[in-house]
Amino acid sequence: MIIRISIFLLIMLGNINLANAVTPDCSRPYTLALHDHGLLYSAETDAGIDKDVADELIRRSGCKVIVSLMPRARIWQLIESGALDFSLSGIRNAERDKFAAFAWYFSNKYYLLVRKDSGIRNLADFTRNDRLQLGVIRGFRYSENANQMVDRLQAENRLSMAGGLAPLYQTLMLNRIQGMIIEPFDYPTLEEKRIRDLTAIIEFNDPAVPHGLIMSKKSLALSEQEKWRVLVNGMRTDGTMRRIFEKYFTPDLAAAMVDF
Amino acid sequence: MTNPRAAITSKQILLLPWLVLIVALTLTWLVWDHERQSARKELHSQFDFALRDTVSRLEQRVAAYEQMLRGMQSLLATTPLTNRTAIHDYVETLQLDANFSGIRVIGIVEKVSAQARAAHVAAMRRQGLADYTIYPDSQDETLAPIIQREPDVGQDQAVLGFDPWTEPVRRLAMEKARDSGLPSISGKVRLVVDHETEASPGFIMYLPIFAHGQPRDSVAQRRVNIIGWVYAAFHMRDFMASLYGKQSPGLALSIFDDVVPTAEALMYRSPDEAAAAEPAMENTMSANEYMVVAGHTWTVSLSTQQAFETLYGRDAASVIAVTGICLSLSLALLVWQMVTGRVRALRLAAEMTEELRHMAQHDPLTKLPNRALFSDRLNQELTRAQRHGGKFALIFLDLDHFKPINDNFGHAVGDGLLQQMAQRLQASIRASDTVGRIGGDEFVVLVAELTEANAALALAEKIRMAARQPFIVDGNELHVSCSLGVAVYPDNGSDEITLTKSADEAMYRAKDAGRNSVVSASNTTR
Repeated sequence: MIIRISIFLLIMLGNINLANAVTPDCSRPYTLALHDHGLLYSAETDAGIDKDVADELIRRSGCKVIVSLMPRARIWQLIESGALDFSLSGIRNAERDKFAAFAWYFSNKYYLLVRKDSGIRNLADFTRNDRLQLGVIRGFRYSENANQMVDRLQAENRLSMAGGLAPLYQTLMLNRIQGMIIEPFDYPTLEEKRIRDLTAIIEFNDPAVPHGLIMSKKSLALSEQEKWRVLVNGMRTDGTMRRIFEKYFTPDLAAAMVDF
Repeated sequence: MTNPRAAITSKQILLLPWLVLIVALTLTWLVWDHERQSARKELHSQFDFALRDTVSRLEQRVAAYEQMLRGMQSLLATTPLTNRTAIHDYVETLQLDANFSGIRVIGIVEKVSAQARAAHVAAMRRQGLADYTIYPDSQDETLAPIIQREPDVGQDQAVLGFDPWTEPVRRLAMEKARDSGLPSISGKVRLVVDHETEASPGFIMYLPIFAHGQPRDSVAQRRVNIIGWVYAAFHMRDFMASLYGKQSPGLALSIFDDVVPTAEALMYRSPDEAAAAEPAMENTMSANEYMVVAGHTWTVSLSTQQAFETLYGRDAASVIAVTGICLSLSLALLVWQMVTGRVRALRLAAEMTEELRHMAQHDPLTKLPNRALFSDRLNQELTRAQRHGGKFALIFLDLDHFKPINDNFGHAVGDGLLQQMAQRLQASIRASDTVGRIGGDEFVVLVAELTEANAALALAEKIRMAARQPFIVDGNELHVSCSLGVAVYPDNGSDEITLTKSADEAMYRAKDAGRNSVVSASNTTR
């Protein structure tokens, strides 16, 4: 009996220790930045996947987190400098790995969205025709083939930079750009039908790219990063993440994005 | 040089300078192209940096103004919208100095329902604003008159009561601010405080004010609980003047409202560009960036001018081209000299050798083969005749009475006569025959491949007649004759010595017989 009680107590203690281990250090308020980007976050409605993920993450952490809205390029700058602690839906690359850590929570492919009337059937069609302009958001990186295309067009002066998705859709509709790189959550709620009617989608032959919570290596110690990663993983394993994505996508697509 | 292998090699060697030229020019082209591309790349990245920098400076400035308005928002979280004194004091404390010179005005808009209109106007008038009224007239359920503006400089009293909700551009920004709860800027507007018709383009930044203690977590809640807006109105020109940092020189900057760069949408144009009457450049770079500031899109249009290229461009490409071409040509020329120097020396040596050989085998006066060469030819003919059983003849010839000509007219005239005689001999014989001079006035003819002995005698007779013709040397008409002796192989000798001896003896017999005659070695009686 005594042994059983001891074992029970040990397990309880272990749980407490485990609980302590995953609770981030809340001795200071944190900063988290959102960027206006389709279904991830829309400033017009102050809602989106990132907002939901942020709310849940903040709730679970029990910390005070000041949330603000910024252009994506600025977010990466501040993450690098350590002035900003978190952002969401980031993808890694060699350069970012130097200053940012990630906690993955969904994965998706990138697509080239082109005007139907531009006669583009595949990626090479777009690259070949030097009259075609690609719209990209400053500070964004994509999957490997998409990155290669962007870098090549950049060298040929064929990129139109934008601070967000909205002007890219506008300029695409006005035929000032003929293509842009999108993700499943990039369709704006407004004018979605008109855009779908006018455009076609071409796949980059890349695997899905994981997206995650961005953590500034400069402002968060390795042990702290791990605690936040445990929180994100908790949201994935208990189905919270999937429920958030199902608010915005069909169950199939949500499952495909969250289970990777 | 008759060796075919040597000939090919020398031809190949002559290709070498061309090869060197082609390689050197190709290298020049490669270096030039690389330099040109890297220069263009550098210029391009400088330009890209300038564009990014410009956008970043604009964003930072907008963020600073946003921050200032958030201060107003914070104030209004602690005091009612209608607390005119508090708002006035707050703005005064802000000390909007030159750093904030972009701001034309900071103001408060109150949301008033149509039903509460009369009560609102009455309340405003009680505060001492006797002429206050909401304008322009609106049938909208929502009214949003400006109830306060700072700094308050008297003459702009008329602005109070203006309802920006009636004006679509302003209303759009106000709605965005209300729905998002975030700062929102309007499209291009003419500020109400601007009376001039040619007013500088402006824009307005709105921040929503929600009722104290009421929820504002969803769009619906925000729409219900909004009580007004705090706003700042800007002149674009002044806003641009208040930017931190310095615009890169040589760049023309324009900012347009929304995404279409038309004249109507033009918000700002850099003074450089207005003054830019420069001719269009070959390498002008231009780009548009669609920046999103406080929920609104501006098109930032940047293009390079001459000064930019002068500043960041490199002119190494043309230097490389000129230097490279000059060096290539020099190198090719040098190689040509080295290669052909050897070839030319060899050719000269060959020519000199040939000349020496000629000199060794010919008589310098008449250019006829000398005794040595003649002896060679005779032996060749002898070998041939022995092998094939053929005949040939040897004719010895001696000019009669030649010595007196030398004595009377001098050696020059004598030499001239010998030369003419040599020509007549050459003209008399066949191409296969050989004439040689073997001493003073003695000549010898090898008549090759003879069919019958008489043909040799006939030729000797022909020569004798030719010698009878007068010679004109230096204006002197000279008459000579000659004595000829003919020996035929194998009849009169079977080798060089016996044949020569026979012909010589026959010739002396002709001389003895009174000169000017032909004697055959076979005819011992004559």
